[in-house]
Amino acid sequence: MSTRTPDPRRALPGSPAAARALLGRAKNTLRRDLPFPWSPPTWPTSVPAPRDRPALGAAYETDWARRYPVRLVRAVLLDNVLRPAVHLLAAPEVRGGELLALLDPPVVFVANHASHLDTPVLLSLLPPRLRHHTVVAAAADHFFDRRWKAHLWAGLLSAVPVERHRVNRRSAEVALGLIEDGWNLLIYPEGGRTPDGWPQPHRGGAAYLAVRSGRPVVPLHLRGTDRMLPRGADRLRRGRVTVTVGQPLHPEPGEDARALAARIERAVARLAAESRSDWWAARRLPEPERTELVAGPEAAPWRRAWARPPDPAAPRPPRTEDELPWLRDRRAPWRRRGAAP
Amino acid sequence: MSGLVVERSLPRFAAARAWSSLRGSGRAGEVGPLRLADVPTPSPPGPDWALVRPRLAGICGSDLATVDGRSSRYFEDLVSFPFVPGHEVVGILETAPAGSALAPGTRVVVEPVIGCLPRGLEPPCPACAERDVGACQHVAFGRIAPGLQIGYCRDTGGGWSTAGLVAHASQLHPVPETMDDETAVLVEPTACAVHAVAQAPATSGEVVAVLGAGTLGLLVVAALRHLADPGTLLVGARYPHQRRLASELGADLAVPEDQLPRSVRRATGSLAAAGALSGGAAVVFDCVGSAASLRAALGMVRPRGTVVLVGMPGPATVDLAPLWHRQVVLQGVYAYGLEHLQGEPRRTFEVALELAARCRLGRLVSAAYPLERFEAALAHAGQAGRRGAVKVVFDLRSRRPSSRPAPDPGAPR
Amino acid sequence: MSPRPGYVLDVDRSTPPVLFWHGEGFRLERLPEGSRVIYPPEPLPPLPDPIGAIRRALEEPLGDSQPLRSLLRPGMRLTICFDDVSLPLPPMRRPDVRQLVIEQVLDLAAEAGVDDVCLIAALALHRRMTEAELRHALGDRVYDAFAPQGLLLQHDAEDPDGLVHLGRTDLGEDVEISKRAATSDLVVYVNINLVPMDGGHKSVATGLASYRSLRHHHNARTLRHSRSFMDKDHSELHSSNWRMGRLIAACGVRIFQIETTLNNDAFPAQLRFLQRREWEWTAQDRATYLATQAALRRLPDGLRRSVFHQVTAPYRLTSVQAGEVEAVHDETLRHVYAQQLVEVEGQSDVLTMGLPYICPYNVNSIMNPILVACLGLGYLFNMYRGRPLVREGGVLILSHPTPRSFHPAHHPSYIDFFEEVLAETTDPGEIGKYEEAYATDPWYVHLYRTGNAYHGVHPFYMWYWCAHALEHLGGVIVVGGDPAAVRRLGFKPASTLADALEMAADVVGPSPSVTHLHAPPLLMADVR
Repeated sequence: MSTRTPDPRRALPGSPAAARALLGRAKNTLRRDLPFPWSPPTWPTSVPAPRDRPALGAAYETDWARRYPVRLVRAVLLDNVLRPAVHLLAAPEVRGGELLALLDPPVVFVANHASHLDTPVLLSLLPPRLRHHTVVAAAADHFFDRRWKAHLWAGLLSAVPVERHRVNRRSAEVALGLIEDGWNLLIYPEGGRTPDGWPQPHRGGAAYLAVRSGRPVVPLHLRGTDRMLPRGADRLRRGRVTVTVGQPLHPEPGEDARALAARIERAVARLAAESRSDWWAARRLPEPERTELVAGPEAAPWRRAWARPPDPAAPRPPRTEDELPWLRDRRAPWRRRGAAP
Repeated sequence: MSGLVVERSLPRFAAARAWSSLRGSGRAGEVGPLRLADVPTPSPPGPDWALVRPRLAGICGSDLATVDGRSSRYFEDLVSFPFVPGHEVVGILETAPAGSALAPGTRVVVEPVIGCLPRGLEPPCPACAERDVGACQHVAFGRIAPGLQIGYCRDTGGGWSTAGLVAHASQLHPVPETMDDETAVLVEPTACAVHAVAQAPATSGEVVAVLGAGTLGLLVVAALRHLADPGTLLVGARYPHQRRLASELGADLAVPEDQLPRSVRRATGSLAAAGALSGGAAVVFDCVGSAASLRAALGMVRPRGTVVLVGMPGPATVDLAPLWHRQVVLQGVYAYGLEHLQGEPRRTFEVALELAARCRLGRLVSAAYPLERFEAALAHAGQAGRRGAVKVVFDLRSRRPSSRPAPDPGAPR
Repeated sequence: MSPRPGYVLDVDRSTPPVLFWHGEGFRLERLPEGSRVIYPPEPLPPLPDPIGAIRRALEEPLGDSQPLRSLLRPGMRLTICFDDVSLPLPPMRRPDVRQLVIEQVLDLAAEAGVDDVCLIAALALHRRMTEAELRHALGDRVYDAFAPQGLLLQHDAEDPDGLVHLGRTDLGEDVEISKRAATSDLVVYVNINLVPMDGGHKSVATGLASYRSLRHHHNARTLRHSRSFMDKDHSELHSSNWRMGRLIAACGVRIFQIETTLNNDAFPAQLRFLQRREWEWTAQDRATYLATQAALRRLPDGLRRSVFHQVTAPYRLTSVQAGEVEAVHDETLRHVYAQQLVEVEGQSDVLTMGLPYICPYNVNSIMNPILVACLGLGYLFNMYRGRPLVREGGVLILSHPTPRSFHPAHHPSYIDFFEEVLAETTDPGEIGKYEEAYATDPWYVHLYRTGNAYHGVHPFYMWYWCAHALEHLGGVIVVGGDPAAVRRLGFKPASTLADALEMAADVVGPSPSVTHLHAPPLLMADVR
């Protein structure tokens, strides 16, 4: 018989560590969607949904979420739950916040996208007159693929579905109609959260909407949210977020969406540079979107991820057992009278 | 000098039997009758005897049956305890027997059957007079202790020992320089296969089936292909490597053993009724020796055909009605002697030496173990088929590394 | 709501996993984005009055045939032949179409005072049907009226006294068919045309033929030139049968052909998730799926098999036509295509398909590895018109457990074929050298004639059916199959679909285009 040595990584049964692990697993199970046969199927985007069934995805109707009672409830939640939570967890610092006061709504907000936290952080930083009149463009295939998700995001964050992988006339028309009705639109032109911390190329939707509606585009930049809740993370960490606000970009007469999109991308890149240096240094970069400081190295994905600069505002790394010897003490707390071995 | 010894101990035999039936053949290890001990070098019983220092000694199915406690009680009076097993031996002559042309240092294979001549019995029995030593009637008598063969006899020693064994001049066959030890150690089982093929009815142009493709089955296939002229040679083998080797050694078709009756039926174009074929193979070589294999053999042999028992059988319950109804000959073949194949009669071992060289039979040796690791060796031999092996041997060549660089990846553990 | 036609789905991120048949079970597999899934059309509405429709078809035949009533007269010799147990799949819920048609034919014969009537199951070299299977196909009334008198026969292609050699076609093909049929004043053949291959002149020229006659079109060369054998106009198999059929007609054998088509309603309501597109699965469908899977996992192999073989299909009649063979068959094809045809744009590098528990040759039996190959590479691969769904040199991925098990009574020669012939070669052109020995083996002949065994040569035919696919494809991969059996077939085993797709990429190049054939229910791809 060989003697089995217990795996040191494995928590002893009944210990607090084991309980924590169990709780974590249970949370994961609840959080993760059950796979298909256990949960209802999603509807393929290419298949037109039948008329007798309320549509999901890009065709989801969000009018109800802008009715007065729903707006009232949302406003109460935003001001009393979401904002305090964001301030507690993210301690956001706003650079150029005074620009927001000068805005003439409706406008199109564009921002880089690194985390699901981006939307709550931005919404809670907007002045009240903008905050309660902003709709958020959200990926139809991610936030609107299930009925409960569609209701939740439309109701809570005033999200509207947009198609991110292809041009969808309907979702563009809906967004345009909302801007013309006086709603500000928050949109992430990168089309999804960054996989490696560096910005992704912009898509043309925001510029298209601005050109069509003639409304200005306000570039925003967030730094730090990807450290708090990066893509694929299963838990939220405290952190510090820096939001940088840029000058609104007005579509020039005769300017096409492509040119405006390039301007927007440059403006956001400049804000990124600004958040890492200062306004003047960023201002002087001729092509901020091409500098390595902003765009990251052109290399294999792991090297790009590796090259992320350490974040000065990053939270402390999780405590290790070496640092805190009492964590190593596996005795029950009430038996820990004496010194740890 | 160390060697492996089998002692007469009924409890140990019983324990080995129970243990091996639970854990598989060759696993009786600690509880069985076999143990590693200091053994003295046997002294030659007469001047015409020689001392042989083994180089390689094979583990045979009958050896396994002995250490598993499975062998038939029939043999009780035909062996003498304590004995050193090992009758498949290639070794070096330490001393030369009187009146022989063999010089010390010659490499020899040992023909282990101890007939009238080594026993000093005058006149020899009729079989020994004909030099058909396998049929000797006097294996329990004479100047040395009872014993069918070297390796079952108290006085001669056996191959599984570094102390060496003694053999009579008539039992020694020099090995050609060109033959390696691995091939030479397979000469003894090859001789059994040659004898089986030579004793069986002529198979020229007929359908012949070989049931089982362990060492003996594969050697029977080789012997059939080179010494007889079968029309179609079918082999039933349980394991894929056995089927591959059988095809290489000359089988026309090697199939899983449970498919063999079907293939025999196909090859003979016969019908089937009552679990037996209307026609069937002219000769079936049963190289397993179990009740199940004998039953299967009786089901696929044609009326008036012959079932040759090559594998060592034990007590078996078999319905003999088909044997009676189909007038089947059940033939046992044991050991070797003098063969009348073509031309003048020759000793089986001479034919076997040629056949072993011709078919490069050394490739059947899958693993070699030192004596100290006999438990692993016996376990490997007992599970040879499942572990992709054929013949497992003991390597007694002093302390040099084995001549086979890497015996078998799964072997010594 | 009118039934929807077939559908070609482009797989995207929001496409749920897709159902693959996997023998006596299913798999849900996520296909790579950009793959296509071809769904069969929904069942067409059935004929509202099948009995009336059959009567009308007999009264108003197509082509230059007279109504059946006027072909019947006292003292004549009438033979009614019908398709055997291989059709339809799964077996149809009672009453079977054959029963409905034959009862009306017999009604007319009785009215006309025909005494010499005989029924023949047109087996060709298939196994004889059991009593239960005959009762299922014909109904108890017909069975009890004819079987005890010895007038319900099963075609015996090895009966030296029961066959007659009618001559040779222009190309030297022997035509040898059942003597009873050939010497009848009228042969009525009752078809179930489940796939476009069935029916036409193939009914008599194959169903009632002997080995001597069949070997002219059941061989590797013919089937390599049948592209596909489901498409009559491009099938050498059918050309040969048509030549034979015309010779049979020229020899004065009068055939009144009755062909019937069924809709796509292949599975009972309890298993309706099999006929639904995954994104339309309701909570009930999902619950059924999960419960079925959970139950199947717990059942032993034999029991699981018998559970599946007890499934009967709620097929309904969509058309029935009768009269002269070729006119009838053209009309039949129109109806089959209306139910099964799906337009598909272009070929792909990889074709995936899940193989079900049943093929035409293992009704109430075991699907052995050879039949797995035949179903995938023979039947489903050939369900195309125009071009195959997979490009030349592409890869076919099958999903089936492929157990190395054979039904000893139904498929005796298959076992030997698997051990002896496939161990030697898997090239359909090469195996021909063993064919004669298997076709004439007295034991196989004995089992075919007296037992319920497929003819000795039948496994060769199964392998010939794969000939076109084997020549066309660059490789075949079986997901979840017994590795040893799969390798014996000359295919590659893979444990998951992802592995299989990766292996396929080695053959066809990186990021291949993938098409999944979502069948059964059956569909025929019209590849542009």
